[in-house]
Amino acid sequence: MLEIKNLHASIQDEKQKTKQILRGIDLVVKPGEVHAIMGPNGSGKSTFANVLAGRDEYQVTAGDVLLNGKDLLTLEPEQRAAAGLFLAFQYPVEIPGVNNMYFLRSALNSIRKQHNLPPLDAMDFLTLVKAKMKEVGMDEKFLSRAVNEGFSGGEKKRNEVLQMLMLEPRLAILDETDSGLDIDALQAVAKGVNSLRSPNRSFIVVTHYQRLLDYIIPDVVHVMLKGKIIKSGGKELALELEAKGYSWLEKEAQA
Amino acid sequence: MSDVVASLTWLEECFEKNINLAEPNWLREFRAHELKKFVQRGFPTRREELWKYTDTSHLAKKNYCGPTLIDGSPDIDKLSSPSQIKFVFINGIFSETLSDIAKLPKEVTLLSLRQVINDHVDLTKPYLTREFDEKKFPFASLNLVLMTDGVFLKIEKNYEMTTPIHCLFINTKQQNFVSCPRNIILAGDNSSVTLIEEYVGDQAENYFVSALTMIEVNNGAYVEYFKIQDEAASATHIANVFVEQQQDSKVKAHFFSRGGALEREDLCVRQNAKGAEAQLNGFYSLHSDEQHVDHHVHVDHLVPHGISSMIYKGILDKKSHAVFNGKVFVHQDAQQINAHQENHNLLLSNSAEVNTKPELEIYADDVKCTHGATIGQLDNESLFYLRSRGIEESEARKILVHAFSDQIFNTITNREIRDYVQQRVSSHDEL
Repeated sequence: MLEIKNLHASIQDEKQKTKQILRGIDLVVKPGEVHAIMGPNGSGKSTFANVLAGRDEYQVTAGDVLLNGKDLLTLEPEQRAAAGLFLAFQYPVEIPGVNNMYFLRSALNSIRKQHNLPPLDAMDFLTLVKAKMKEVGMDEKFLSRAVNEGFSGGEKKRNEVLQMLMLEPRLAILDETDSGLDIDALQAVAKGVNSLRSPNRSFIVVTHYQRLLDYIIPDVVHVMLKGKIIKSGGKELALELEAKGYSWLEKEAQA
Repeated sequence: MSDVVASLTWLEECFEKNINLAEPNWLREFRAHELKKFVQRGFPTRREELWKYTDTSHLAKKNYCGPTLIDGSPDIDKLSSPSQIKFVFINGIFSETLSDIAKLPKEVTLLSLRQVINDHVDLTKPYLTREFDEKKFPFASLNLVLMTDGVFLKIEKNYEMTTPIHCLFINTKQQNFVSCPRNIILAGDNSSVTLIEEYVGDQAENYFVSALTMIEVNNGAYVEYFKIQDEAASATHIANVFVEQQQDSKVKAHFFSRGGALEREDLCVRQNAKGAEAQLNGFYSLHSDEQHVDHHVHVDHLVPHGISSMIYKGILDKKSHAVFNGKVFVHQDAQQINAHQENHNLLLSNSAEVNTKPELEIYADDVKCTHGATIGQLDNESLFYLRSRGIEESEARKILVHAFSDQIFNTITNREIRDYVQQRVSSHDEL
């Protein structure tokens, strides 16, 4: 599914100084697996998620990323989406003037087009989107609103999960989708993710807290620190981190 | 000064040869008077504050001739209309054969100005002899000097005209000519009307349109006015629109700028009595190098209890240049005014340029006035978000550009007109 070797990435700060963020990430995610990536603030988790999605502020300075054998790093963001990659954003952007339903339909049909499939007509689309909205507990009125405009934090995250359900990616990356959610929204998000789990679909769940992993049970948990994965383990690693924090790992890494 | 006067010979020649208008003496004399005024004043230059960003001095050196009657029809596509009532002008001269006014009710008078001058000249006298300040509105003088024809529209009081009236000015199959339509729109008390004034270029180059439209919105009347400018790429289009509002009247005006090399619009709205409301919207979409559009919008609140809003938006690509100058003037006795103005610009290239100046001049103390202006580019975050969902970059840009302009299009409540305008303004969008 996903193979990452020695991934390095940097960003230019406001003073045009290059700041190295990812410093050699190795990761293999097999079909059907759920990987959690945890780590303290500033460890590079969000950068990692955005580099995979193709955000152009970041420069990949070394390394390879293969998604189902395809060289992901040479693809445009829309081609990555068509290749099956989906990023649920930590801070979904508000786009005034763009109707949410129009957006969802354009997205779905763009991906269908890239797979040489005919566009879904308005009626079929509506039936589909209404069913998926029910799954994530979103009111249908959000279809006629502008994309994320004036949505609460929870509504934005549900809208991300709705997009994921519509686009049915092969690899979904959830970037702190749990942050700022109340328990109902958290469960709705988890339910959406779990309904998509299948033997040929994988997930990378980026999170600060163990809480989400009570609902989305990971196969592997990684700890990221200073742009590197410094420890990997089973789901019990998340519980250990919850209990002990990250400082013991920082010391371990320095030793 | 002397060389300016000397170089205006084309203007004087056009005046002399003007189109066999069967005009009465008073009109001939007044036009001669306006010619003198204009020649003395000269074409405005960038040394004048009101023309700071728009240079018209080159017009003096051109050698324009008057329009000639053209045989045959323009491209049929250019004749399409969102309405069943169509009033067509070719190179500024009314064409009966291309027009269709069969559905006109008896409460509505729609005539070509030339016809009115022939048959009922007294009706037009107050509108043809109105003096404009030539310092501020030089092209109002020029328009009368070279006047060829125009629209005369009158709605009887209490009549609600539901079918829009589409006045289509096609400039075609002639080069280097000057056309000066003068339009008179009179909405009687408590009447309503929707009017589209559209300019289209087709197989014509380097021509010059100087239009003037006077709109009288009487007590309780409602006028919805559309101006669509889609002239040929090398054309110059300069227009004055003067709106006079009476008590409890409402005007909704929409300006769309699409074509031409140089466009200048001076829109002046005067609220002369209480309870008047003016909603003024504009949208310009500039896609070629050296394309220049200048909107000067002036609202005069002369009396208390008035409302005005101005929302102008523009999209600029390549080396195009837009100017916006909105001015709300609240006179001393005009209390309880609610005025709002905004201008937003979206730059699609690094070499496009915008000069925007929203202005308020307020002499009353109990008013609510707001204004604002922005100039920006497409939001990278939004672009990335759309692309990350599989939407191709060019499509994502289009979606964001439309989101920007839809605020203006959505103010058009008539569905046919909205579709028509959108198609006219964005059909040749190259993003």
